[in-house]
Amino acid sequence: MGLKQYLLKRLIHSVFVMFFVVTVVFFAVRSVPGDPARLMLGGDADPAALEALRQELGLNQPLYVQYFQWLRRLLTGNFGESIRTGEPVLGSLSQVAGPTLSIAALGMAIALMIAIPTGILSSVKRYEIEDYVSTTIAFFGISMPAFWIGIVLILVIGVNVDPIPTFGYTPIEEGISPWFRSIILPAFAVGFPYGGILMRMMRSSMLEVLNEDYMRTARAKGLTSNLVLFKHELQNALSPVVTLAGIFLAVVLGGVVAVEIVFGIRGLGRLLIGSINRRDFPLIQGTVLIISFVFVLANIVVDLLYTMINPRIKYGGDE
Amino acid sequence: MSSRFDTDGGRVFGIRTDLIEQFIDTVNRDLKAKIGVVIVTLFVIAAIFAPELAPYDPMAQDFTPLQAPALSSETPLGTDSFGRDLLSRLMYGARISLGVGLGAVLFGAVTGVLLGLVAGFYGGWIDDLLMRSVDVMWAFPWLLIAIMLVAIFGQGVWNVIIAVGFAYIDDFARITRGEVLSIREEEYVLAAESIGLGNSEIIFEEVFPNTVAPIIVQFTVLVARAMLAEATLSFLGLGVKPSTPTWGALLGQGRDFITTAWWISILLGLLIMITVLGINLFGDALRDAFDVREVDSE
Repeated sequence: MGLKQYLLKRLIHSVFVMFFVVTVVFFAVRSVPGDPARLMLGGDADPAALEALRQELGLNQPLYVQYFQWLRRLLTGNFGESIRTGEPVLGSLSQVAGPTLSIAALGMAIALMIAIPTGILSSVKRYEIEDYVSTTIAFFGISMPAFWIGIVLILVIGVNVDPIPTFGYTPIEEGISPWFRSIILPAFAVGFPYGGILMRMMRSSMLEVLNEDYMRTARAKGLTSNLVLFKHELQNALSPVVTLAGIFLAVVLGGVVAVEIVFGIRGLGRLLIGSINRRDFPLIQGTVLIISFVFVLANIVVDLLYTMINPRIKYGGDE
Repeated sequence: MSSRFDTDGGRVFGIRTDLIEQFIDTVNRDLKAKIGVVIVTLFVIAAIFAPELAPYDPMAQDFTPLQAPALSSETPLGTDSFGRDLLSRLMYGARISLGVGLGAVLFGAVTGVLLGLVAGFYGGWIDDLLMRSVDVMWAFPWLLIAIMLVAIFGQGVWNVIIAVGFAYIDDFARITRGEVLSIREEEYVLAAESIGLGNSEIIFEEVFPNTVAPIIVQFTVLVARAMLAEATLSFLGLGVKPSTPTWGALLGQGRDFITTAWWISILLGLLIMITVLGINLFGDALRDAFDVREVDSE
């Protein structure tokens, strides 16, 4: 299968995935026991307001009509609006995108900076002290909840090191340095567990490649060991790590949400928790959808990166 | 390989005895495996015998110890803001955290293994349909699933079990399917078909027992991850009801007293870390013993 056909297949699959997600989200939210209008407005809401909201949300119409209306609105890019503030979901999300994306991106960078060097070191020096130290650190990394790392960092560093704040987020427009200082601790809390997972993957992937025939050939050709290492091995060993990096976006997201709460940052976490506490179903629904779409896109990007790093991969072959 | 066409090798609870022997070998050989076994054993004992070991009723409110200095002998870890003994809540918490962890992974495993068995065995469009549906779950961030479920159905132990376990269905489905695809070509499956056994008999008596090793390994690894997930959800207030003492919930409540009693948060975090570390080490030992490759799709 050629690259074009493969991409087409991936796109069709993604459309299918998004359609599935949209449908599941619709019926999940509609399966709320009781009257959604009453749930949203509270028990003592006045009947006229209830009726108005039912009308607005189209709750008086048959379910299939509601479903198709919902699909049509989504296709025009309308993800609904918060029933509390009346603000479109996309608007609310773009407000929190700054802090959440900053932390997630720096967190992933930290994870890769931890994982790739220690993973390489520990496979090259297998069963030596470097290997034991690296794998132990990775083990601790994958065993701690990200939000707790955040709490420890606040107690140890945030409280004692003056330039590092323990609370809040400074937008990047107010300067690179204050921005960086405000996200370094949350990003580390998010990145460390993730780095542990990636490091273990990197290590086992490197060890596998080390035993391949072409590595022996490369050494037999008389290539210096460093050149062999970086040209042949790293390129091949990185592929599974890239796939994993994509999948674990989900882990990073989960980590960011809890870590933001610890650091009192108004990001996606605050938005989601707040919308649940206020029973703002349209906001929850829209947020879930938009994040899922971002996910599907991210997975396509990861797939492309994967084929770029490892050109020998068979497109659409058996996984 | 084990099958009715195979004469050697006994089994205990459906697990081949040679796998158990290999595991004991690994534990004897490897210090990390020993540490894992010790931690997991201690944790399970604390969880099972919480009612016998805990000094107080975890729900009983008693405000007198508040006057006693913290870290006193009466209530070694102090009490929470409702005057409930923290040590007792912690021990019961082990029980709930383990229960939720096991329950969630069990939910994911039963669903995923069934899907994987059917998809791998029948192949064709059934395989396509099932595995493409599983792909959808893979594209879905678990925290959102959990948040949506909690938003719709409210907090509670069962909702958390399903919310967390849902995300693991695809792991089990993928691993099982991969195993089934290779087992399907084995001679004993052919033999079973040739003597006219029904499909369900072949799937459950011939194919499934031979997929068990990687499934057990994945199960253990995911229990560790499920406990972290539960802790995160409870910490966010989206997990079990606040009065239920799970470690994540206790940690979340401890955060409110971070300036006056920071040790509550630190201690609970350490406990979670040590337990999860133990389960991870245990899982690694199983992986070594069963000689299962670390899967890319983890």
